[in-house]
Amino acid sequence: MKNQTVKKIDMQKVIIFGILILLLIFFSFANPTFRRYTTFLSLMGYTYYIAFMAIGVTFPLLTGGVDLSIGTGLICYALTGGYLVVYKGWPVWLGLLVAVLFGVVIGLFNGFAVAVLDLPPFLATLCTCMITRGLGSICSNGTGVPWPNGNANGAWFRSLFRLKINDFTIPIGIIWVVLAVFLMTLLLNHTKVGRYILAIGSNKEAARLCGINVVAYQISAYVISGFFAGLAGIAFAASFATIQPGLGAGFELDAIGAAIIGGVSTAGGYGTVTGTILGVLVISLLKTGLPYVGLQANWQQIIIGIVLISAIMIDIIRNKRARAS
Amino acid sequence: MDTLRNIPIVKKIGFNKIVLCLVMAVMYGMFANLSESFVNYNRIISALNYAYFLGFLALGVTFVIGTGGIDFSIGPVMFCCAIVSGQILAKNNLPVWFCMILAVLIGVVFGCFNGFMVAYCKVPPFIISMASMQIAKGAASVFTKTQTVKWPMATDKVNGWYRNLVKYRLVGDTPRDVTIIPTGLICLLIVAVICAIVLNKTKTGRYILCLGSNKEAVRLSGVNVKKYEMLAYVICGILVGIAAIFFVGAYTTVQPGMGDQYNNEAIAAAVMGGTSMAGGIASIGGTIIGVMIIALLQEGILAIGLTKDYQLVVTGLIVIVAVAIDIISRRKKN
Amino acid sequence: MGEVILTMKGIDKSFPGVHALNHVDLEIRKGEVHALMGENGAGKSTLMKVLTGIYSKDEGTITYEGKEVSFANPKEAQNAGVVIVHQELNMMGHLTVAQNIFAGREFMKGSFIDDQKMIAESKKLFNRMHIDIDPTEIMSNLTVGKQQMCEIAKAISHECKVIIFDEPSAALTESEIQELFKIIRDLRKQGMGIVYISHRMDEIKVITDRVTVMRDGTYVGTIITEESTKDDIINMMVGRVIYEDPKTKSNVPKNAPVVLKVEHLNAGKMVRDVSFELHKGEILGFSGLMGAGRTETARALFGADVKESGDIYINGSKVNINNPMDAVKCGIGYLSEDRKRFGIVTGKSVAENTTMATLNEYAAGPFINKKKEKKVAEEYVKRLATKTPSTEQLVVNLSGGNQQKVVIAKWLVRNCDILIFDEPTRGIDVGAKSEIYHLMNELVAEGKSIIMISSEMTEILRMSDRIVVMCEGRKTAEIDIEDATQEKIMHAATLRD
Repeated sequence: MKNQTVKKIDMQKVIIFGILILLLIFFSFANPTFRRYTTFLSLMGYTYYIAFMAIGVTFPLLTGGVDLSIGTGLICYALTGGYLVVYKGWPVWLGLLVAVLFGVVIGLFNGFAVAVLDLPPFLATLCTCMITRGLGSICSNGTGVPWPNGNANGAWFRSLFRLKINDFTIPIGIIWVVLAVFLMTLLLNHTKVGRYILAIGSNKEAARLCGINVVAYQISAYVISGFFAGLAGIAFAASFATIQPGLGAGFELDAIGAAIIGGVSTAGGYGTVTGTILGVLVISLLKTGLPYVGLQANWQQIIIGIVLISAIMIDIIRNKRARAS
Repeated sequence: MDTLRNIPIVKKIGFNKIVLCLVMAVMYGMFANLSESFVNYNRIISALNYAYFLGFLALGVTFVIGTGGIDFSIGPVMFCCAIVSGQILAKNNLPVWFCMILAVLIGVVFGCFNGFMVAYCKVPPFIISMASMQIAKGAASVFTKTQTVKWPMATDKVNGWYRNLVKYRLVGDTPRDVTIIPTGLICLLIVAVICAIVLNKTKTGRYILCLGSNKEAVRLSGVNVKKYEMLAYVICGILVGIAAIFFVGAYTTVQPGMGDQYNNEAIAAAVMGGTSMAGGIASIGGTIIGVMIIALLQEGILAIGLTKDYQLVVTGLIVIVAVAIDIISRRKKN
Repeated sequence: MGEVILTMKGIDKSFPGVHALNHVDLEIRKGEVHALMGENGAGKSTLMKVLTGIYSKDEGTITYEGKEVSFANPKEAQNAGVVIVHQELNMMGHLTVAQNIFAGREFMKGSFIDDQKMIAESKKLFNRMHIDIDPTEIMSNLTVGKQQMCEIAKAISHECKVIIFDEPSAALTESEIQELFKIIRDLRKQGMGIVYISHRMDEIKVITDRVTVMRDGTYVGTIITEESTKDDIINMMVGRVIYEDPKTKSNVPKNAPVVLKVEHLNAGKMVRDVSFELHKGEILGFSGLMGAGRTETARALFGADVKESGDIYINGSKVNINNPMDAVKCGIGYLSEDRKRFGIVTGKSVAENTTMATLNEYAAGPFINKKKEKKVAEEYVKRLATKTPSTEQLVVNLSGGNQQKVVIAKWLVRNCDILIFDEPTRGIDVGAKSEIYHLMNELVAEGKSIIMISSEMTEILRMSDRIVVMCEGRKTAEIDIEDATQEKIMHAATLRD
């Protein structure tokens, strides 16, 4: 009985870690080319932006809400930042800053709609999902945006994620992801922001009666989500050559799915950032690995769908057992 | 304001719906002012083309939202229906009626799956529809090997007739003198009336709304809540299948891997029309008005020379404002 | 009793359409336990919400420690030392005990929360209260009683001077209530002013020093507990003496047939090998302390929860009840203890709720016959004297007693022969209570049979023809009303292995 919830999350993490290892072994044996370094690099390319999105969206989920605007959002932010850099001649660092700030602004908007106007989070962020999808194209004039690449001026920002020394590429984006996981775990478990976000997810009314500024902390959860969607936009821009308007729909599902696989409760109140990141690895491993075993890219979606259902079913069955015993 | 609300006729129709109709009228006037080409029969036909499939989707999702659930997979499932049955039609030279039934059946299969998982396996609706959205997209792509699928054109002598469901070409004295009759509108309204009857006059509808309001109380009344909850998703599936027919009837081609945005627009239409995301309250009439507003917006924005992107932004904002006003006015009342 | 610490004078508060408080006075002294009594809707909770800053007052003054105050929100009140322990527990189930106690005012080490210090401080608090709770335990793993202790610990940790208990004993077992009283006496000794809101007359006599009574939002009067009787207080609450005597004799004929027989029912920890019989025209009282497994027995019998084993016979033939649908088919109706969650569909009308279990009879094929539905709803509104403007009214707008009547109507329309009434009068005011008692007597006179679960001893003794007593999931006694005494029932209710 003791510390049941804590135990449960840990158990889930262990299971997912096991699944990760099994997947790795499976893919490596099924196709030797999977063991190449370039595969690892492309795996990381998928991991970065999903990881940032998922870390961010963990916070609204913990409050018992959700943020559906991160997928179209990240494309919108990357498009806008990139447009200013490529077509308006802004320095790259300013473009990056714009991307992140744009994310924060949309996060603020979501937070305002949810916490102040009291809109259902699902609905509010569904609307911002539509809005950011439209805004992305509008801000970039409807054209694709190629962030600086190769030897172009400003291409340095790509080495924030893949550092090229001679012909050898180091995926140093991992550092940023690990750093984000570390900082956000610290934020979640050892600061007021994290504690109050969990408190709101657990029982909003009780949190309010404790004198916690529920509105402010709820908003902060969405701002964190928006901020990380901005970072995800940068990671996406750094990993892929051109960004097309209209992309991004459905990205949020990868991130939310990762968080859920990682043990974050959709009802709010419990979950961990490390769990989320394990979920991200499962998803990005499937995305990169499945083509190597002869499954078309299209199969990924089906399999990710099935994995998601399985994860939630396992959770439901285990909850049932726990209640019965 | 309150006295206005209490006039019997206003009460009967619903204050919100009257406001929405006014909004629609104002929008129409605005677009007509901004663009001369907007006041044009072809524009209306084109707006309606968009309203048909979106209308069926929104009607379907209204039932699901009425149970307090959500179906996030309707757009991609609609595409999946159209793609798979269209591919079978093209490859096997089958009669089109068979493939139309097939499209609806595929919708029903997804509806059954979603409904079963939600009602019997207790998976949160949000998550299951996320998963079946992936599955629908993937399945459609796998089935056609990511190729675009084309349904028969109106000129197709054998199979082109199905397009008359969407619009009927009335040929006048000369072959050039063609009047288009929006038969699709009639179909949509008939289905909407049927939906309204099901929702308000039948046991199924009653139990769907009641379980959206308090599932446990309905269960303890000895009602088979699982059956009725699943039924809502199945009804949604049927309507999604019908939506697929009207989509191809208007636009002919379907591409795999798409359809996400239509979920949002359909849900937006239902919510705009007064269906509560918390479940228990749903309005078919409101949903249809919501759909018309979105279709009008879409066409109007194109008419004044802007892209669809603006329509998304405006729709998003309208829904937020509409729901916020609703919530704030209710808060004041309490 | 010491000097006056808090005075509320002429407090007035209106909500749209309701004059909730009409110039109410209240005076709390240091070192006293002051009961605040009144029927439901008398305005007790509203008064306390005005005091702690949840509502703002329209008129009147609050004087606290000699200064006039007006708290803008609960936090301000807390900081000043006025704390409320809520009726519904306000806990965050996923967080630990220590995290809950110090929520909103965590100890910090720089920008980080100092969890170690919070745990240490919580331990100190529990030591002071002489109770044993692990501060690192997840809140939702504790029993309701323990959770309540945490709430109290939290209140004490505010260094409060006035502490308000809003129906603290509602969810506690007898031993937990004793523990609570010990703590309250302790607090009194430390010179705190304590407001104690409760409906339980016997508790008021035991623990309080003075009683202030409210009725319909007005102040009736304040009396000293020792100098007054139960009837005095009830008299003040309702304006008339209504205390009724227990039933002395069963109204059921000796040869009445057995309509329901339950044998060796098992379901989870809370239902262990329960067997009993219900006769035609009988009210079978189920007594026991909170957590004795009575509701669980009813739910397992009704098929609302899964049962592990056990046989159920109705009118002598064995039936299979696996879900509420089966139970309703067998003619069993269940009136839940938690009306809002399990009884009514709040957002729907009186008519819709009335026909909830019988829609088939009011439908032609798939279509509902609304005229017929309205007719039957109106018939039962009349029969049960439900106060509602029309059958179109949403049940959420009715008072508790009238909501209960709608739920009863639902089962009467179904023509259920066996009715399970789980705490039928909980949260219902005195007037509606006696109406429901009257109705139950009418129903058994018509030949229906009722299982009544109740935590109120007076209700059990007044209504039952026979009493089953449960403790910790087992049936510990079956007492005929002729032999029943409070002591006997209490003895059986605490009869542990």
